[in-house]
Amino acid sequence: MSLLKHGRLVGEDAFQPVADDAALPASGAVLVTYARWQAEKEQLSGRNAPLGIILPNTVDALDFGPEAERFDLIVLHFPKFSDGRAYSQARLLRERFGYRGELRATGHVLQDQLWHMQRSGFDAFEIPRPDAVEAFAKASRTFSHVYQPTGDGRVSVLKQRLAIHTKNGPDSQEAAE
Amino acid sequence: MYQYDEIDQTMVEERVAQFRDQVARRLTGEISEDEFKPLRLQNGLYLQLHAYMLRIAIPYGTLSSRQLRGLAQIGCTYDRGWGHFTTRQNLQYNWIKLEDAPAALADLAKVQMHAIQTSGNCIRNTTTDQFAGAAHDEIEDPRVWCEIIRQWSTFHPEFSFLPRKFKIAVTGSPNDRAAVRVHDIGLRMHKNDAGEIGFEVIVGGGLGRTPFIGKTIRDFLPKQDLLSYLEAILRIYNQFGRRDNLFKARIKILVHEIGIETMREKVEAEFAVSKHGALKLPQEAIDQIAVQFAPPAFETLSGISAEYANAFRTDFEFGLWARRNTFKHKQPGYSIVTISLKKEGAPPGDASAEQMNAVADIADRYSFGEIRVTHEQNLVLPHVKQSDLPAVFKALKAWDLATPNVGLASDIIACPGLDYCALANARSIPIAQQIALRFKNWERAHDIGELKIKISGCINACGHHHVGHIGILGVDKAGEEFYQITLGGSADDQAALGDLIGPSLNTKDAVDAIDTLVETYLRLRKSSDERFLDTYRRIGIAPFKEAVYVSA
Amino acid sequence: MAKAPKLNSQPQIVTANDLRSGDTVYLTVTGGWTRRIAEAAVVANVEAGAALLAEAEAQAKQNIVVAPYLIPVDASVTPPKPVQYREVLRAEGPSTETRPAA
Repeated sequence: MSLLKHGRLVGEDAFQPVADDAALPASGAVLVTYARWQAEKEQLSGRNAPLGIILPNTVDALDFGPEAERFDLIVLHFPKFSDGRAYSQARLLRERFGYRGELRATGHVLQDQLWHMQRSGFDAFEIPRPDAVEAFAKASRTFSHVYQPTGDGRVSVLKQRLAIHTKNGPDSQEAAE
Repeated sequence: MYQYDEIDQTMVEERVAQFRDQVARRLTGEISEDEFKPLRLQNGLYLQLHAYMLRIAIPYGTLSSRQLRGLAQIGCTYDRGWGHFTTRQNLQYNWIKLEDAPAALADLAKVQMHAIQTSGNCIRNTTTDQFAGAAHDEIEDPRVWCEIIRQWSTFHPEFSFLPRKFKIAVTGSPNDRAAVRVHDIGLRMHKNDAGEIGFEVIVGGGLGRTPFIGKTIRDFLPKQDLLSYLEAILRIYNQFGRRDNLFKARIKILVHEIGIETMREKVEAEFAVSKHGALKLPQEAIDQIAVQFAPPAFETLSGISAEYANAFRTDFEFGLWARRNTFKHKQPGYSIVTISLKKEGAPPGDASAEQMNAVADIADRYSFGEIRVTHEQNLVLPHVKQSDLPAVFKALKAWDLATPNVGLASDIIACPGLDYCALANARSIPIAQQIALRFKNWERAHDIGELKIKISGCINACGHHHVGHIGILGVDKAGEEFYQITLGGSADDQAALGDLIGPSLNTKDAVDAIDTLVETYLRLRKSSDERFLDTYRRIGIAPFKEAVYVSA
Repeated sequence: MAKAPKLNSQPQIVTANDLRSGDTVYLTVTGGWTRRIAEAAVVANVEAGAALLAEAEAQAKQNIVVAPYLIPVDASVTPPKPVQYREVLRAEGPSTETRPAA
């Protein structure tokens, strides 16, 4: 399993996963489950270190969203590649709640979904490939344009066409070419 | 009609490159069949009984003659020279090889076509009225909105792994020819009290195992908010649609289980935020699309054409055909022609490559090079001068494309069924052929009048049997093909699901039963103006049930 | 999907679809694949078919075929005739076709 962040392989995860019944380490970034967060919000918030959370894909992002800013890492889950709930969670966390930390995809993460994940706001991936870096780079380049806007900042085709139209004046037939 | 610009063209070409790479990785085993299957499905490639089937998208059923010729060429190069037009306005080829699929898609891309998202748990082809942009009863051309939806839904990163497939249909006419009430989302264009045109949004319709008529989630949605609202619905569905049971995963089940009020609350809450976002459609963006659907350069004509009137009077066959297979155009002096792909005894909805090329030629000569596909598996020439109708009739007749049966008993919808489809329990095509032959006699067929018979080979209902005036569902009873018959279904504005008349029948008895049902109708109808469906609605199921199941 | 016991005790052959072409194929005695049902390896029943099926599944993993499975056949005729109608259609082609292959 390789952890890919910003297109590069990360040797070791900065966040230490902590089991629900294990003591929290005195210092250092930790990764806890949603259940633990629910149970120990105060203690976890009180720690002076980066905090990560593993969010099941059944959690309503609208419920969790207001708390997202307290985390430096949110791990979302694809139990099967065909289960696309985390795409909506990701978009809501990024675009509705302005989450700026690491958004990591785990579970059944296939190369051919990296495009969708990236566009939905994921910036880190646990992918089971030795050539994760090449696969990721290739996936990012799948399409030169995007038809729909997401939080990834790419200009949608619709906006591109409006810009062309404006540039060439209202009488231009540019779009029809 | 919509022409790709450089961006659209690049998109389909990049998609072909992506799929070519995926196929290569599959053939070397780099990805498994499980991992590859959803990828090939999202490019319309199914593994069926005999071979791979390729479902080519025909966005909102609109084709140029060049595209139709392209389809014919692909049929000849990669398949057996004939294709099947489907109930979602798409085209299916049944004998494609996986190793040829990337090349076939590359050829499609050359004529601005593709097979993107024609399968898989994603947003499928948005369908519409086959008479869009031409019908006299239209409020506005729905294809502008279909194209806007097509672009928004293509490669949508959030909605490519939905609980299940998602189908949207749009009607621009109060006479719904797009079956919007039996789609996951149906959009009905209409005017509000202020005279503004917007959408009634209907959600949770669908056929299949658990059929539902859709419910109105919003009476009036302004045009600029269309994509924001659709995204809100899809987002709720993506998160809350069931994923534990394949047969309960459509949005119709979600709406049924949480109720339309709760569904509306969730969607409106999401929409309240999203409507101010990036999906709000600027009028200019709408105009850029709309201009591509501007009507062709019609001549200014008035009155009834002399050629037409004369032919109608003197050529009996032409008169029959004109009566059934033409529809009133909004432009004076023009007509809409439906090309029947339902010659009695032939597999319904199929066309050979030669026929496709012939239709392309006729379209170029008489219909501004434009063709449509209907969800009832026929084709349409949308803009034909009345004075050209006799010539068009003659040209179509030469290719067996002028059977005067549109909307009649032999204009049957049938899914491919067990002859082709791995999901089927029974064959649909042979029974469709047999039934059609029973109504070959034009006098009888015209006397019976409008009768929509729809046949599905399994409960997935691709033949739309639930909404047939007579619906037929093939089942497997101890290894033998049996057929259940329903009555009174309808896909129009008074949408309804058919009622089962009784136990399933074997093929011979089922075909005889159709005859019996029709005879019952003829016997009990108020007048020859009362359609089969109306008689059924008036007198109910009992007389029909009795006629079929009580021995004479 | 569980088959009726009766079918399981009938002679069986292995069928699949060829990965590249999608063609209906049958496993032969030499572990190859044929489009002709006459050349299919026939075994006495489902239990006896386990080894054949295992071989077929191994070949599926080698990207030769897709989704192999056992089907009951009437082995008293030549070529063997599948018991289930859908398999007859797979062996013989559609019962009706707009334009059959030459």
